[in-house]
Amino acid sequence: MSDVERQITADSLGLHERASATPAREGAERVAKHGAAPEWTRGELTLRAQQEWFAAVVSAPESEAAPIDDASASRLVSPSKTLSSLERIEIYRRGYHARLIECLTDDYPVLAHTLGEGAFEALCRTYIARHPSRGPSLNYFGRHMAELCRADSSLPAFCADLATLEWAIVLGIHAPTAPALGFEDLAQVPPERWPGARFEANPSLSVLSLNYPVNAYLQSFRDARPALAPEPGKNVVAVYRTGKSVWRLELDPALVTLVQALVDGATLGAALEGVQTLLADRSEEEAAALVSTCFRHAVSSGLFSTLVL
Amino acid sequence: MSNRFGLPNLGIGVGLRTVHYSSILQAQPKVDWFEILSENYMRTEGRPLDFLDAIAERYPVVMHGVSLSIGSTDPLDRQYLGELRALRERTKARWLSDHLCWTGVSGKNTHDLLPLPYTEEALAHVIERTRAVQDFLGAPLALENPSSYAQFATDSMPEWEFLGRLAEEADCALLLDVNNVYVSSRNHGFDPLDYLRRVPFDRVVQCHVAGHTDHGTHIIDSHIGPVIDPVWKLLGEAHRRAGGVSVLLEWDAEIPSFAETHAEALRARAFIGEPS
Repeated sequence: MSDVERQITADSLGLHERASATPAREGAERVAKHGAAPEWTRGELTLRAQQEWFAAVVSAPESEAAPIDDASASRLVSPSKTLSSLERIEIYRRGYHARLIECLTDDYPVLAHTLGEGAFEALCRTYIARHPSRGPSLNYFGRHMAELCRADSSLPAFCADLATLEWAIVLGIHAPTAPALGFEDLAQVPPERWPGARFEANPSLSVLSLNYPVNAYLQSFRDARPALAPEPGKNVVAVYRTGKSVWRLELDPALVTLVQALVDGATLGAALEGVQTLLADRSEEEAAALVSTCFRHAVSSGLFSTLVL
Repeated sequence: MSNRFGLPNLGIGVGLRTVHYSSILQAQPKVDWFEILSENYMRTEGRPLDFLDAIAERYPVVMHGVSLSIGSTDPLDRQYLGELRALRERTKARWLSDHLCWTGVSGKNTHDLLPLPYTEEALAHVIERTRAVQDFLGAPLALENPSSYAQFATDSMPEWEFLGRLAEEADCALLLDVNNVYVSSRNHGFDPLDYLRRVPFDRVVQCHVAGHTDHGTHIIDSHIGPVIDPVWKLLGEAHRRAGGVSVLLEWDAEIPSFAETHAEALRARAFIGEPS
């Protein structure tokens, strides 16, 4: 078994405030494109009608013409000395998309870097159109990104796994946590009670079973090292938070077996038996040493928070 | 204490931003107070609350929201209001505020501060909702004048009249953002001092200052960079008219170190007649 190395992560998140001022981003094209006059802009201008109309234009994809014509726009919004009615509304349309793209860039910095600015922004625009925010907070706005990447065959196949890993980090930030169980806690347990002991996982723990080694790829990005697109390969990663730190821990097959069994509620005795079965091709002495190392790593990594006897 | 709500003048504060968490907790600088962005600490049980608890333990805190959507024609979100109330209890926030705007309709949230038509219909609607929110929260709500880039053709009164009548009839407090007054004055072509003359200052419990981005044809309230002198001068005028009021700097893009941000906030002293 290789040494277990856990990596701290996520302290660079939050570069953009989720709730703040209008992004200053200015579109390349100042003259607003416009579409046809929708029928409903000809009706009575109640507050509700004005809001529905305004929201429809603001949230229309930026790649498309505004769903309004100049005459209808000026029926709703007055022109200024420098901007037409539609150009004034376009400021809000740009602000709407820019804020949500900033939010997704904050959640998915490595995916954004991997795809490059243009392709990532295009992906974000699709995302915003398919999954508009429906809540007061943007903390979970980005939750559908892996699903979107998986469905988009034009993207490199590892992107869905990368998005899964980056989203697990976001979840780790927002999940509750608990103090990690330490060896000093275990030292209190009489030896005869060990086999029946059960462990409760840290409440923030996610165990990800991925088809590409994206954890190493993500770490290369964080270390500012060049990284090639990962080739397919099994990668199991635990993501969890202790205190203010979010950790990523790659699990080898023995550790996966142990952690998964304990997370599923198995006793320590049953979980260790599972690991031993996995190591059946090793000598008894070697297997015993590996099982012991495996358990020590699981505890010292802070994956568990409670011991139930 | 010069406002009718008896809310204290907290001095000169800074908007709390995630990039400053660690430096604030490590250095524990002498800062009069912090304003938090309420939604950053809602729908989370994790690290943002850990930082917030540590900061709220050491400094006075005020809550500033962006998703109340007081002007929306969608029903008020009672779950959100409950979370707002719980956060206020958790942080012992001195007061809470949001914007005179709407953020979405038909269940979708744009997370932008969209302008309201300043009509009798909209005024009656916002008065009713402001009363309901204050009843729910059991505390006065301070509503902030927004920056705006569009005016509705149906407007039947200027923003200052809408704001003043709303404050009077809903009996709510006001957060006067003098940068927003400046931005809107440039975008819509009015005299910002005329605006200040119409504000009922006995209801103003807080002032905001911030930087903005001038695009030539219009100004965006980007909260970027230092505050320009014309905005500081408006703050001086507002502070004088209010007889002293809590002042807060918002800085949201290309945020410098905390020391630099705080130093920018403290420039207010020169304009409100306090020794620097």
